[in-house]
Amino acid sequence: MPLKWVFHWQPNAGTTVNSQMLTEVSQCAESINGVKEGRWKATLTFYKPMFRDQAVPAEYPRDFLGISLPEQPNRYYFIIRSQKIVLEADSSIQMIMEKLQSYKSRVSLTFEGFQYQLGDFQLRVGKVAPSASENLRGIVLEVEYLPLSSMEKSRQILDGFVEIWQEAMSKRSLPGHFMHIEPNFAEFGLSDHYTSQHTAVQYATVMAQLISAVQTAQAVRN
Amino acid sequence: MQQQQTQAARNPTSAESTAEAPPKQVALAMDRLAQAARLIADVRLGADRLLEALFVSAQPHQTTKPLHLFLKEDSSMRQHLQDLRTIGILALKAFTDQKRRFFPHLDDGLNGQSSASESVPKKHCGSQISTVTQQEELSDYRTLSDLLMHVEKDMPNMKIFTYQRLDWLKRASTLPCSAEEFLMDSSKEHDFHISNKPRLGLLGAVAADKVAVIELLFPSIFRAIISLHPAGSIDPDAVAFFSPDEGGSYVHARGFSVYHVFKHVTEHAAMALQYFLGTNTETALYSLLHWIFSYQTLFTEPCSKCKRLLSMDRQSDLLLPPVHRPYRSFCAIKSSSPQSISSTKNQTLDASHAYHVGCFSEEA
Repeated sequence: MPLKWVFHWQPNAGTTVNSQMLTEVSQCAESINGVKEGRWKATLTFYKPMFRDQAVPAEYPRDFLGISLPEQPNRYYFIIRSQKIVLEADSSIQMIMEKLQSYKSRVSLTFEGFQYQLGDFQLRVGKVAPSASENLRGIVLEVEYLPLSSMEKSRQILDGFVEIWQEAMSKRSLPGHFMHIEPNFAEFGLSDHYTSQHTAVQYATVMAQLISAVQTAQAVRN
Repeated sequence: MQQQQTQAARNPTSAESTAEAPPKQVALAMDRLAQAARLIADVRLGADRLLEALFVSAQPHQTTKPLHLFLKEDSSMRQHLQDLRTIGILALKAFTDQKRRFFPHLDDGLNGQSSASESVPKKHCGSQISTVTQQEELSDYRTLSDLLMHVEKDMPNMKIFTYQRLDWLKRASTLPCSAEEFLMDSSKEHDFHISNKPRLGLLGAVAADKVAVIELLFPSIFRAIISLHPAGSIDPDAVAFFSPDEGGSYVHARGFSVYHVFKHVTEHAAMALQYFLGTNTETALYSLLHWIFSYQTLFTEPCSKCKRLLSMDRQSDLLLPPVHRPYRSFCAIKSSSPQSISSTKNQTLDASHAYHVGCFSEEA
């Protein structure tokens, strides 16, 4: 399937993200001839284990994530980042987990926004917010290059796009920038050929970055 | 007078085949055009007379006079049309030869000009000489098997497969599949197969005289499809580029990719093919294959003019990599050093030039 890079908004020190920035980012996509297409939505859920007894909590992963992606409505993805595990399951697994009561959903986040078509590129701009509220916690950007599936072969094209994107963004003087951290897919057992599991791993990485950014901001405040 | 015209038309045939300076041949061509125009006028007149004869014969109380008139006009019309056909054939031959020699491109705006003498590009004389040399050097590559075997050596990383026309359509409908799946597929029974010996021609199970489609696959970069006509020949008649992940019945030499980048490359490839065919039909496939090989850098080679990889194309408002690779100087470079045919160094030289649509100009 076509490869994509997922970016997260890294606000400058001392600043926080707000919805005005989201608007500016959307306008930036339109400024490079992006055509608004429709909405998209992904969800990410933190799971915590339900213990029968308080015996060995250390064995259970603390970063057990579940992700649903719009391009795969019949699939659900599990990631345990610390163990470099990614798993693709049928979407009915959520119901099974509900019945088993082995893990419970702790926090759920939504990534949603608009999708833009730029020729062979597809952009998704999305806000990050807890599922229960509209409180903007972050901004994500997905850049997909449709003709190619190999990450290695497409690297320079994506770099080229980032250059053009950053040029367009710099005109808006926003206090921050988009960052892309490429996870080591090989550690997760993933190959050069892009799949939705790659996307799930990227979102897990983005999540870690967002958490760390929030924690840093809190530390600065305190 | 008719006889005179026919003879005049036939005589200059021998003169055509010699290498004459363009102005004289142009004069001949103009003269024949004038003859053709006179014949057309005669035909028109004859048609009027036929109608007149018919009209007269429709009137009551007629003798056999209109019948005679009719028959006379009929035979003279036939003669006019025969003469016109003769001149037409000669003219077509003359123009085709001249077009191939001096105007091998259909798209450089010279089509609309009636006088060929206005713009004879001197540089084409150079390429004409070099194509003759190339023809001698490539005289071994007369059969498809020979050609593909030699080409395989020159082009590492590019996988070449051949198909009968219908077999390709079947295969196209089963795409896309990843490279691994494809390799697994080939171990089952199919009409095509991959040879485990890289140096062996890949015609394999496909009879060489039935090969009508050549598939060139650069895994994860692109897939190019060439159509040969007639089957088994080395005469390409169409070429198209696609994403390696694309599949469906539209994936063939006259189809178009759903992706803009490959659509643009396909359009450019059509012009390159016309150029190679116009320059030298015998080496056209060879040149085309090598030219296609240069596209392995489609997603990595920055534009030789603006030095960027991605650029916003003004005409289409799309971000595209450099989709143009020069083809006009392609043959000349190849034949300037005879040993270079199998050397990859020259190919790097060719492949190092890539242009965005907007950056591409005649200087290439």
